[in-house]
Amino acid sequence: MKAFIKAIEYYLPDAYLDNERLAREVPGWTAEKIEAKTGIACRRLAAPGECSSDLAVAAAQKLFVSGACRPTDIDYLLLCTQSPDYFLPTTACLVQDRLGLPTTCGALDFNLGCSGFVYGLSLAKALIETGQARNVLLLTAETYSKFIHPGDRSVRALFGDGAAATIVSSIESDADYIGPFVFGTDGSGANNLIVPTGGARRAHDPSSPVTEDSDGNQRTENNLYMNGPEIFAFTLRVIPQTTSRLLECAGLKIEEVDHWVLHQANRYMLEHLRKKLRVPPEHFPILMADCGNTVSSTIPIALCDLLAQGRLSRGQRLALVGFGVGYSWAGGMVRWA
Amino acid sequence: MRTQDFYRELECVFDIPAGSITGTEKLVDLGTWDSIMAISFIAMADSKLNAEVAANKLAACRTVADLVALLPGKVTT
Repeated sequence: MKAFIKAIEYYLPDAYLDNERLAREVPGWTAEKIEAKTGIACRRLAAPGECSSDLAVAAAQKLFVSGACRPTDIDYLLLCTQSPDYFLPTTACLVQDRLGLPTTCGALDFNLGCSGFVYGLSLAKALIETGQARNVLLLTAETYSKFIHPGDRSVRALFGDGAAATIVSSIESDADYIGPFVFGTDGSGANNLIVPTGGARRAHDPSSPVTEDSDGNQRTENNLYMNGPEIFAFTLRVIPQTTSRLLECAGLKIEEVDHWVLHQANRYMLEHLRKKLRVPPEHFPILMADCGNTVSSTIPIALCDLLAQGRLSRGQRLALVGFGVGYSWAGGMVRWA
Repeated sequence: MRTQDFYRELECVFDIPAGSITGTEKLVDLGTWDSIMAISFIAMADSKLNAEVAANKLAACRTVADLVALLPGKVTT
């Protein structure tokens, strides 16, 4: 019994932040310049009161409406989020109830950012191929916008809210459809992408003052902070090694991969990595223009868009690579079924 | 890479005319020196010099000479 990706859908909230509005707020920026650098035309934003569970439920419901599977088919729910509805209970438990999944269904949250989808696929494969589950619903959902200070254009220009729903099912096959995987972790980079307060170590602090960094970006300790140069340097250090390890594990050459689907962080970073890895653009999709960096959902959203564009066909080999907050990274091979 | 060629690459990072940099300049006098420029510099060092730049050390640079010193053995006279 092998695990395979049966279907993917995604959901984006209605509210949006486009480049025209960003450019009006920032002297010296133009909408064209923002899109050229980031590859993003528009980011979607969760409404007040709209939480990760709401986005995840909406994405999963699109899957069920599509006929890919029924709620009663799901026997395990994996939900990746760093912006859960509550500290407790587990968001996956709320989603199980709202989707009408069986009460015999396993459900858990896992806290990862941009590497989360690849980790989730690895967990789903393990659950299926060890006989613990037959149909795993993998949800990725984030509302980072709720962490972002309105005066911090460095992250406002990049991140968008959204959720993706992926069904990983079982199939009789000798060949793998998912895997192998490679992983990486380096917690020494934790402070470079962080929301400093709100957890047990430092409580949310309503009196935290607004500070302005040397770039003119404003935030409090309750907001998302990203050190862009450190994250970029980390990516250049880690991703080429990760793709080499992945190819070696899979016994493949770089040109034998049909689509290199990397975490859609921003166009500038992706283009630099593409050239560094020497992958032609037609094998290296950049699909984030209408949603921005949706953290753990960027890879499934890109896969869904590739499929909608008719660029994904049965038997194609995909290399998926997620990387970011933690630092955490992972690469995995997928053969499209 | 020769120093003069490095200056030309740096002029591309700052998007300023060729010949603008002589090696004695402060970075703030060449244009905006912010995190986006730092990322552009890290990208240039990676692609043109195959050099890994420590972002925390880059953040401490104030002059063109500081940038050269950040790349030991990569920029030669």
